[in-house]
Amino acid sequence: MVTTDPAELAERMGKPAAARPTRVGDTRGYRVFRVVNVVLLLVVAAVTLYPFVNIVAQSFSDEQYIRTGRVNLVPRGFNLKTYGIIVSDPTFWNSYLNTVVYTVTATLISLVLTTTYAYVLSKHHLKGRGLLVGVAVFTMFFNGGLIPNYVLISELGMKNTLWAVVLPNAISVFNLLVMKAFFESLPKELEEAATVDGLNTYGVLLRIVLPLSKAVIATMVLFYAVANWNSWFSAFLYFDRADLFPVTVYLRNMVSGATTATSMGSTDSDVGQVNSNIKSVTMVLTVLPVVVIYPFIQRYFVSGVMLGAVKQ
Amino acid sequence: MRTKWNRVLAALTAAGLVAGLAACSGEEGAAGGADLDGKRVAAMTDYKAGDRFKATEPVELRVLYSDHPNYPVKDDWLLWSEITGRTNVKVKPTIVPMSDYEQKRSLVVGAGDAPEIIAKTYPNQEDAFVASGAILPVSDYLDLMPNLKAKIEKWKLQPELDTLRQDDGKFYLLPGVHEAPWPDYTLAFRTDELTRLGLAAPKTWDEVYTVLKAIKAAHPDSYQLSDRFEGNSILNVAAQTFGTTAGWGYEQSQFDEGGKKFAYTGATPEYRKLVEYFHKLVAEGLMDPESFTQKDEPAIQKFATGKSYAISSNAQTIVNDYRPGLKNIPGATVAKIPLPAGPQGDVMRVTRLENGLMISAKALQSDKFVAMMQFVDWLWYSDEGAEFVKWGVVGTTYDKDATGKRALKSDIGFGGMNPDAPKKLQKDFGFQGGVFAYGGSTELLQSMFTEEEVAFQKAMSAKRNLPLAPPSPFTDAEREQATLWETPLKDLTKQATLQFILGDRDLSTWDAYVKELDGKGMGQYVQLVNTAYERYKQKNG
Repeated sequence: MVTTDPAELAERMGKPAAARPTRVGDTRGYRVFRVVNVVLLLVVAAVTLYPFVNIVAQSFSDEQYIRTGRVNLVPRGFNLKTYGIIVSDPTFWNSYLNTVVYTVTATLISLVLTTTYAYVLSKHHLKGRGLLVGVAVFTMFFNGGLIPNYVLISELGMKNTLWAVVLPNAISVFNLLVMKAFFESLPKELEEAATVDGLNTYGVLLRIVLPLSKAVIATMVLFYAVANWNSWFSAFLYFDRADLFPVTVYLRNMVSGATTATSMGSTDSDVGQVNSNIKSVTMVLTVLPVVVIYPFIQRYFVSGVMLGAVKQ
Repeated sequence: MRTKWNRVLAALTAAGLVAGLAACSGEEGAAGGADLDGKRVAAMTDYKAGDRFKATEPVELRVLYSDHPNYPVKDDWLLWSEITGRTNVKVKPTIVPMSDYEQKRSLVVGAGDAPEIIAKTYPNQEDAFVASGAILPVSDYLDLMPNLKAKIEKWKLQPELDTLRQDDGKFYLLPGVHEAPWPDYTLAFRTDELTRLGLAAPKTWDEVYTVLKAIKAAHPDSYQLSDRFEGNSILNVAAQTFGTTAGWGYEQSQFDEGGKKFAYTGATPEYRKLVEYFHKLVAEGLMDPESFTQKDEPAIQKFATGKSYAISSNAQTIVNDYRPGLKNIPGATVAKIPLPAGPQGDVMRVTRLENGLMISAKALQSDKFVAMMQFVDWLWYSDEGAEFVKWGVVGTTYDKDATGKRALKSDIGFGGMNPDAPKKLQKDFGFQGGVFAYGGSTELLQSMFTEEEVAFQKAMSAKRNLPLAPPSPFTDAEREQATLWETPLKDLTKQATLQFILGDRDLSTWDAYVKELDGKGMGQYVQLVNTAYERYKQKNG
């Protein structure tokens, strides 16, 4: 905000750099804005953090306190018993391990496919480039639908295998376009020089382009890994065996299994609510890796997306 | 988010179902019933009610299995090995998380990939699959199921079974069957508070009102009834005694026994009375207006912290939610009251049908079809099967004394029985699970009840059970048309019900509301139902 108050302008002219060396735009309006801004963001942060903290607090609390709604930000009746129970449950660890395996494999495959596809698309001299872009973008708007997809995966024999969750969503078109834009922004001259020095296409990609792309690759790792970690739907669709389920399916069943049955008006006594304490412990353990790793990759994430956004 | 997903999924699967099955429905033309030659491999030749089924050669059966979060499925359950040991049948479950069971069921049936046995299907849920031809009309094969037939006869289940019939006169669901109605949901009251104020437990809905009012006099700042289940349970049970349907049990059409005709439920005088009653509770500050919108947790919290004194309940929620919650209030006690009587008298309207199973039409092509039906008959409908899936194996999981009284082994727990035992009947053995154990004789059902619950059931059994509405099955074309009317009608009724009860809409505008219903096709809809009813009556007597 620029001030139009003549008195203030005059004051500023009269007392140049010496008095206020660096803070040129620091008008009253701006200061108000900053205060409002900080307050607003603090509120947003609080609203966003509260559920997390609440779940963490619940996970350490006694069920008795949760049931009566007395747990907010601080655990009441602190105990680690439930953590003990969950941690010693082989079903939980088995699904956890599944999630790790699926996430790592899927992220690796996605990364290789997205990088190579995006690199190809970034080359303007490529014939049929428009078609290749079109093929990818087409899938953003149209898909076969649930049952055809299911039939396809079954017919390919991928049901109940790792591939069913890893392959169908291997390339995210959004990520592909971000990466393509990033590659397009790299100076052409670098690659030309490398070619003159005797590198072939693969050499250029592996030795010149990729080392310069760490930021965008880190971003892609983050995007893909988080998406794969959280995903439950394909696993739910394509797996028939409990020992293949990722932890998200396990968690989802726990959180909404009983609720679903009640909402149907089932009169059957089989509907038992899972203890909220157990639910929250499972949630905490499930999100933990993402929460721990996120801050370390996040700095790449910001620069990575920005780099792709501006063309030279 | 969940609901959005559900809707998208439902729409997608419904669309896919039609498309997907157009392809495979052709091959099922000859499912007429009698011709079972070449399908008797592994079957017993003279299998009859009371016999234990044992396949003459090994059989493998796939079952769509709803996996309960409280007792996740395990391969080494005694249940599985014992089934195979007794019957020579190996059950191969297709595991589906309970949270999304219905979606997966629609998907696999739609994709033509359903296991032979599709468990955990509630009456009317099979309707969506009938037109596709993917589901076997099981009524054609009841002769293969002597135990079920015996139960139908002995317990006089025919009228209830008839409610399952489709327009072709057949039914497609093998329901779970109870010997006697099993009402579970009702209101629970803080009994210590009733005693302290010198009040008796209310026996009618009018008494519920006066009791709530008396509690209000003692605690003027709180709502006496803050309900859970978004009001669906209390509306459901109260509606039975008001002679209509609402909440969970809401049915769009209501049968008038006198006029032998259907009317639109949400416009009947009975329904209006029900709405007026709850409006009175809310208007006088006895019932929390949030009862119809809040999630279960806040409702339980209010009850557990002494902010409310009555709440909807079933046998489980008393034990699992309210009693543990109320521990903080010294001397607090809670109990279910028998369903209060209403304008229709001391009645209830409870079907004896339970969730059951569908058989995939593909199963008929198998040469072991007859063996499969015999197996289903034994496991789900025989006395031996029902006891086995509930209690397990005599001498291993439970003992039976000379009087026939069963008791779990001391190191095995379930519910209130042996609560500190190291092993659990469901989690560690797979028995008393929702996919296999339901229905059966009253004696067996109540064998695991607490004394309190047995007493409740006894009180309830004294009530007159109102007859169910007669069948009025639609043809495929009618069903499609009916669905177009049903959704907006139901939405309007639901919305107006809530507005009337909460006082957002004045009850004097009832006629305007009925007119609105008319504008959304109420008249045509009711006519369609009545046509279907008449046609069914003519065809089937």
